[in-house]
Amino acid sequence: MGRKLHCKGQGAMTPGIPIFSPMMPYGTGLTPQPVQSTSSLSILEEQQRQQQQQQQQQQQQAAQQSASQQATQGTSGQTPQLFHSQTLTTAPLPGTTPLYPSPMTPMTPITPATPASESSGIVPQLQNIVSTVNLGCKLDLKTIALRARNAEYNPKRFAAVIMRIREPRTTALIFSSGKMVCTGAKSEEQSRLAARKYARVVQKLGFPAKFLDFKIQNMVGSCDVKFPIRLEGLVLTHQQFSSYEPELFPGLIYRMIKPRIVLLIFVSGKVVLTGAKVRAEIYEAFENIYPILKGFRKTT
Amino acid sequence: MSGGGRSRCPDCGCAELVEDSHYAQSQLVCADCGCVVSEGLLTTTFADEGHLQEVTYSRSTGESEQVSRSQQRGLRRVRDLCRVLQLPSTFEDTAVSYYQRAFQHPGLHAARLQKKEVLVGCCVLVTCRQHNWPLTMGTICALLYANLELFSGTYLQIVKVLGLDVPALSLADLVKTYCSSFKLFQASPSVSVKFVEDKEKMVSRTLQLVELASETWLVTGRHPVPVITAAAYLAWRSLQPGGRLTCSLSRFCKLAGVDLPHPAYLRVQELLDILLRMAGQLAWLRILNLDKQTVVKHIGDLLQHRCILLRQAFRDEAEEEEGDEQQQEEGEEAGSSTLEMPEKKRPASSPPPLLPPCMLRPPKRPCPTPADSRVTGEEDISDSEIEQYLRTPREIKDFQRAQAASQAGTSAPITS
Repeated sequence: MGRKLHCKGQGAMTPGIPIFSPMMPYGTGLTPQPVQSTSSLSILEEQQRQQQQQQQQQQQQAAQQSASQQATQGTSGQTPQLFHSQTLTTAPLPGTTPLYPSPMTPMTPITPATPASESSGIVPQLQNIVSTVNLGCKLDLKTIALRARNAEYNPKRFAAVIMRIREPRTTALIFSSGKMVCTGAKSEEQSRLAARKYARVVQKLGFPAKFLDFKIQNMVGSCDVKFPIRLEGLVLTHQQFSSYEPELFPGLIYRMIKPRIVLLIFVSGKVVLTGAKVRAEIYEAFENIYPILKGFRKTT
Repeated sequence: MSGGGRSRCPDCGCAELVEDSHYAQSQLVCADCGCVVSEGLLTTTFADEGHLQEVTYSRSTGESEQVSRSQQRGLRRVRDLCRVLQLPSTFEDTAVSYYQRAFQHPGLHAARLQKKEVLVGCCVLVTCRQHNWPLTMGTICALLYANLELFSGTYLQIVKVLGLDVPALSLADLVKTYCSSFKLFQASPSVSVKFVEDKEKMVSRTLQLVELASETWLVTGRHPVPVITAAAYLAWRSLQPGGRLTCSLSRFCKLAGVDLPHPAYLRVQELLDILLRMAGQLAWLRILNLDKQTVVKHIGDLLQHRCILLRQAFRDEAEEEEGDEQQQEEGEEAGSSTLEMPEKKRPASSPPPLLPPCMLRPPKRPCPTPADSRVTGEEDISDSEIEQYLRTPREIKDFQRAQAASQAGTSAPITS
């Protein structure tokens, strides 16, 4: 942590010549990591075999390997993508022996599969799902508001009925055209169940409601990486994706291209992911961002 | 007024048009009835102006050549704002070009006047940021009498739409500019001699304190100005603690002639906490049992040795991950410096981690872990569950009666 400032007196209104390198504001010393090439499948396999308790030792290799991911981050996060879909779906790959010694850590005892060190071990939790469905018939909102207990309708404020049910705890906006928006569910299945319950309520109120074109429009997830993040450094190295304006909002807005997700990253290490249409996009986005965030963990 | 194409006479509909000229003026005359179809086109318009018909301004070529009045006004505002801020002339041209580019976009072209006003400020801000001129959004909003929310929305929109690369606010330059605006460098009727301070010393100490704050996570995610205010306050007090220890933050801001940002109180406390911890690492200060007032006297010393003190005072969590052996090495290394000989004899309580304040505070409410519900989405929905959401006929009647009564109640005073 060397001293970074050499103060020269300059006029107040003429900061013309930047005394401090504009690219390095306070306290962001980034040590670029050596880039190592990863061969695709062999490493994926062996890491699936390693024990979770060994994660600390493998943080080292993960940090080095993450540099290669970091290098490819701008274009496509393909390596983590490939890897992650494997962990999610099936267990051992055909034709591989479980006792695959790792060249990286010769001291690692081999035990059956648990999430590997490549992945963060943290799973984002879904917080909100927004879905839409078409009930397929015109609705009379006044009647619905009159005959349903859980409905509110204020046409001067908003042109839809706001209906809520307790289980799953959700809110729906029901429009006179028959389209409905359902928000607040914590999983895709819950959202579908809730939408069906709303449709059933509308049916019981006397309308010929159907359940057409159910579609999930947006999913929001959140998680905590449990270490502080130097947002100023992150915005420097990932300028084309990030937007960090502390005068406006305390978090950094990271627009990932593949998958197309927006992440809100805060200094406390909490990350909010939004804009996904399927759950896998959220997981993939987090696996893409985790190595980048780990790179900003050290302060020097 | 419509007529057909130029090929037909509007009067008799004849297709035979002859190019004839009446002295110097060229005319297009119908061969049959002799009516003058068009003469001497003076203006260039879109293809079918024909027959001296009226053409709306938006369809004529005049519109694309001229700059619209609203855009002209906006460009004038940009130049005015640059002059008020005393920016170099090159900034003006850049800001004007950004405004012109932004104006092409349909979303901003058709925006409300209020938004176009704010757009002026956004263009100037982007220009200043790109030249590392420290200008805060608060300043621009104050000059334009604009709402910060509208400003932030427009600013983010324009950065995205124009694909601009805007560097971060340069904190060091902001410190210098902000501190130079204080009115503490000369004695005046409101500022007595004991409060006057040398500008160079004050600016340099404030810079050091701001750098300390940014190393200890007090700057990330927070608005920069309150941190600078807090640092300037502490720096000013520490340069002459004799007469200034009793001066409060609000009094300091009044003397300096700047607004007091509310978060500055918290930042002062946080900075003092960090300084107290650092002071605990210096043997000759530990015996003094410093508190938040008295530590100000020693800020100079603490800043001089801040690198080492920080490393000792706080455990760096990231480095712990490297392995246990390295952590022990850390402790040894820190203890080897001459200042810290007595350190090794300290009790075994480990130093607190260096974390942003939001991570150090206990969580406000426990995060509920969601129940692992096996919902498939296709379950049967029982009738009774749905019935609970429907009103009984009795309830409906009651509700309607209540509604009618309330409406009668509200309408009665109007009619009477």
